[in-house]
Amino acid sequence: MQELEERFARYAAHRLPAARDVRVDSLARIHGGASRETYRLRLRFVEGESVQERRLILRRDPVSSLIETERSHEFRAYQAFHGSEVPVPEPLWLEQDPRWLERPFFVMEEVTGCDASLKGLSEGPAAAHRERIGKELWRILGVISRSDPGRLGLGRGRGELSLEQCWERELSHWEHVIDTDELGPEPVTRAAIRWLRRNPPPPAQRIAIVHGDFRSGNFLYDTEGQIRAILDWEMWHLGDPLEDLAWSLNPIWSWPNVSLAGRLLPRDGAVSAWELSSGLRASPEALLWWEVFTNVKSLAIWISSAREYSDARSSDPTLALVGWMIQGVQERITLDTLGRSK
Amino acid sequence: MKPEGPRTLQLLAQHMLAEIAPRLANDYAQKTAGVIAGLLLAAAEEWDRAAARRVEENCALRVLFGDAAPLVRSSGLRTRLVAAARGGDEDLRIAPLESANAELRALLIDLQAHIESLQSEEALRIDERIWEELRAGVSRRAIAFWPL
Repeated sequence: MQELEERFARYAAHRLPAARDVRVDSLARIHGGASRETYRLRLRFVEGESVQERRLILRRDPVSSLIETERSHEFRAYQAFHGSEVPVPEPLWLEQDPRWLERPFFVMEEVTGCDASLKGLSEGPAAAHRERIGKELWRILGVISRSDPGRLGLGRGRGELSLEQCWERELSHWEHVIDTDELGPEPVTRAAIRWLRRNPPPPAQRIAIVHGDFRSGNFLYDTEGQIRAILDWEMWHLGDPLEDLAWSLNPIWSWPNVSLAGRLLPRDGAVSAWELSSGLRASPEALLWWEVFTNVKSLAIWISSAREYSDARSSDPTLALVGWMIQGVQERITLDTLGRSK
Repeated sequence: MKPEGPRTLQLLAQHMLAEIAPRLANDYAQKTAGVIAGLLLAAAEEWDRAAARRVEENCALRVLFGDAAPLVRSSGLRTRLVAAARGGDEDLRIAPLESANAELRALLIDLQAHIESLQSEEALRIDERIWEELRAGVSRRAIAFWPL
């Protein structure tokens, strides 16, 4: 860690030419987000006559990542929403040059005094406020869903997209991930994919910014029940806003107690809060399609995690954990969603 | 081999959680140790049933394929089903059992895709049996320990 502190201090000095005596301490890796390295650190420097101190978050690409544009993709989302009704940390620096920290990274301000854990929503001081947190969470998602991508500078995702194409593009993307990464045949996943293709959803109501991983665990809340930041925008894309709603409702984020979506609100309350905020409707048939889809997308991510660990491209045991335990529960949820449980 | 493997893994997990994790210097290392402990508990659970669940599933799939074969219109698929139904598990080590299981599960995917294209009552009954088998497969693999 000391070497990383020294290297980051040199980088910060490069970024802050007016600063003197730039130092970094308290650098520590944050657990979670197994596919990304996330660190918190304290930066200290002298500017003019005063000593400055800033708490920062460093997000660095993993060793195995070959997609060099991922950092800029996520960074753009933070830039777009910073200062808006959607709370996000202030993005500071995006660096693609590997000479500083070997791999691309970006830096943002740390939002201090918060928690992101699922456990903290069930016990501890914030648990008393979880209904309020839940209503606010799905209200914020509604704001994202009604945002104008063009006005935010996020109008170009993966090329042009029509209302009718949203579902097919996402499904093909994640099916390809499964084709590429599966370690063995996946009959439940394949049955769900065939169901999705036989039962296409209605066209999207609008082309929206889709966060891509909007759920409990990916936002910061404080002990007063305030949501302070929406995090982890690395999978954002343009698409059907129901994708985010369905993802946020997936029982995996509240397992094994599935009575509260995201451990926060009854499902109907979450959907109502989103509809009121977004001005859009979540019809049961369209939402069902997207809920089955989010199971397939989750399974694709768990399958990829297992592949990455099995191939020794990452030594993070969390990747094995999801392959062993979470994938099985996700398959059970998939059967439930398809009405195939007994 | 005494103590037995599952008991050893359970005790290793307890040691990791109670003795090692609290002494680690930072939050990331502590939580990673917790994940490793969780994997040890899962391995203990899996150790005991690893052969049994594969044998049980392979047998169930072979019976299903034998029953489904007469309904199948594709001669290539029917031939594969009949051949699979005649198979068995003679080597009870995990690697050959898992290899057989992977072949049978791949065939299950092909069978279900084919059955879904048929409209008869018999096809519907086989489809229901496939869903039952999918549920059973999920249950066989379930791990009691939940990490989140």
